[in-house]
Amino acid sequence: MAREILRVDMSDLSVKREPLPAAWGRYGGRALTDAIVFAEVPPDADPLGPDNVLVFAPGILGGTSAPNGGRISVGAKSPLTGGIKESNSGGQAGHALARNGIAALVVTGVPADADARYCLVIENDGSASLSRVDEWAGLGNYELADKIAETRPEGDRYATIQTGPAGEAGAKASGIAFSDPKGYPNRFAGRGGLGAVMGAKGLKAIVVSDKGHGFLEHADKDAFQAALKRFASALKEHAVTGQALPAYGTNVLTNILSEAGGLPTRNFSEGSFEKADDIGGERQAETIKARGGHSHHGCHTGCTIQCSRYWVDKDGHYKTKGPEYETAWSFGADCGIGDLDEIAELDRACGDLGLDTIEMGATMAVYMESGKIAFGDADGALKALMSGANGGEPGRVLWDGAAATGAAFGVARVPVVKNQALPAYDPRPVMGIGVTYATSTQGADHTAGYTITANILNVGGSVDPLKPDGQAELSKNLQIATAMLDSLGFCIFVAFAVLDIPEAFAALHELAEAHTGETWDPDALMQLGRETLTFERVFNEKAGFTAADDRLPEFFYTEKLPPHDAVFEVSDADLDSVFDFVPETAKQMGLA
Amino acid sequence: MRVDLALFAHLSGFQPDGRGGRSSRPLELEEGATVGDVASLLGLPDEPRIVLLNGRHAEDSTALSEGDRLAIFPPVAGG
Ligand code: SF4
Repeated sequence: MAREILRVDMSDLSVKREPLPAAWGRYGGRALTDAIVFAEVPPDADPLGPDNVLVFAPGILGGTSAPNGGRISVGAKSPLTGGIKESNSGGQAGHALARNGIAALVVTGVPADADARYCLVIENDGSASLSRVDEWAGLGNYELADKIAETRPEGDRYATIQTGPAGEAGAKASGIAFSDPKGYPNRFAGRGGLGAVMGAKGLKAIVVSDKGHGFLEHADKDAFQAALKRFASALKEHAVTGQALPAYGTNVLTNILSEAGGLPTRNFSEGSFEKADDIGGERQAETIKARGGHSHHGCHTGCTIQCSRYWVDKDGHYKTKGPEYETAWSFGADCGIGDLDEIAELDRACGDLGLDTIEMGATMAVYMESGKIAFGDADGALKALMSGANGGEPGRVLWDGAAATGAAFGVARVPVVKNQALPAYDPRPVMGIGVTYATSTQGADHTAGYTITANILNVGGSVDPLKPDGQAELSKNLQIATAMLDSLGFCIFVAFAVLDIPEAFAALHELAEAHTGETWDPDALMQLGRETLTFERVFNEKAGFTAADDRLPEFFYTEKLPPHDAVFEVSDADLDSVFDFVPETAKQMGLA
Repeated sequence: MRVDLALFAHLSGFQPDGRGGRSSRPLELEEGATVGDVASLLGLPDEPRIVLLNGRHAEDSTALSEGDRLAIFPPVAGG
């Protein structure tokens, strides 16, 4: 099937399909959202104005049966960081777009009437239309999903893409929700405020029907099946992707990070949480089982690792997904809250409002540090969070994230890089991740170069987390590999197996080659990763970012973190070496 | 000597008192015992492990001292 661009202009409400330009033929996912944002968004554009562009792109392997290959990239200029953003999500939309022949959905302009709300519907024959849905204004994500369901014919199979009230309000911590295989809008392109970009475009929801579509066809079916088999058995065989992630989910990390002294606690003032086990993955798995909830499923069809789970309340009713490790940390340890039901309540509220749980938990911890509410006060946190509806305070300030909240409430210890809150690993006792936080084009983002592998988990080698040596190199290689996986459409958790099992690594280019019919090898894959990062770095430079933006906040260099009394020790020269390949790659790409 | 032992994820069933759970409990050892000795004493499965001794990574050959906190995890990850 030919890969095309579906272009939707919200200024004149036009919808058209056009061929994918040949120059972008080898791009998908993050590489493609980056290429389009780079080409079409002026670096000084107002992220919520008509010149920003919102791009949705499945990966190169989207729509196929490649295990864990149905993730989706969302790109735009970020209202939170002011730089380029690629926010990655699970959910069903990646496969659904790809199966309709859409390599990228590109949304431009803003509607003349700022109060208007639209729904874009893509039917399973690839046709697309916009309809006015003003009556959906202000709906939470869960109710919105129900309203959408009422509009669909019986027996339809479709995916939704949604923005909640926070996105409609222009909140910088708002994310975009994607429906999971059961139709719950609980998967998020959470980071960087992209919900607000969708809100500014007046786009309340997107529906993509893929009823009747099977897997996409391959250039070489036999080679694809053979590579797929090798890849799937490597994922099964590796202890992490085959056993630990399905059994305990991502939150199995809470206990280990707390033991290692790297679990940021009470706004990054300690490295271990005394109630870690109460909020960890083992307890979570036991509780879900006792309550009859569902663990061990995929966030999208085709995931074979299946780290996802549903949290259910004491009566066994669905509350929210996960909570994932990042959320159990952000509203848990970082806010001093030691109860999974309380964390799940905050997770649900964020999911319904359409807010990034990492940013909001970190923000709440900053708010708690201001003394307005106490650490551990889950009720106070929920009230503060909900108060943002209709512009109420303090919620509306909190919805703009940790940096805005620190400024508004006079808190000095604000854990952000490029305005984006740090996730669930303290960079002082885990220095590799500090390099990723500092240098990533995305702002502080653990997924951009997940050094926890070698720093803590002994996956893909081991690098002492408490020493600065080797961290820049580790982060750099992982950032390149991650950009590549994000472009292929893989969930980054395949990396645990790919880093340890050579056949799994080889299967990546074999799958890409067999599916597309173009030549792919390991070098070409790494070049894809480098080109992706180069689009991002050069865009950010043009938007005004300098080396000074590639640093952690001062307190990480000066305040010792117990129990190891560690400070961040990676030198500026090491940080500045991470993107040393960019000038040459830019030249090769003709971007100079 | 005595160390404080915590076992996580599916290893928690190997606590000598048979009570499972992740809470730490004291373990009596011969002077000079190593991490590897503890693993064989408990009969831990033969798989790569993540061992944190007082919050730092340790090898099977690492010797233990009175009052150490020893935490052992099976291969796990998340993100
Ligand atoms: S491993 Fe988890 S995050 Fe990755 S695709 Fe599967 S369910 Fe989604």
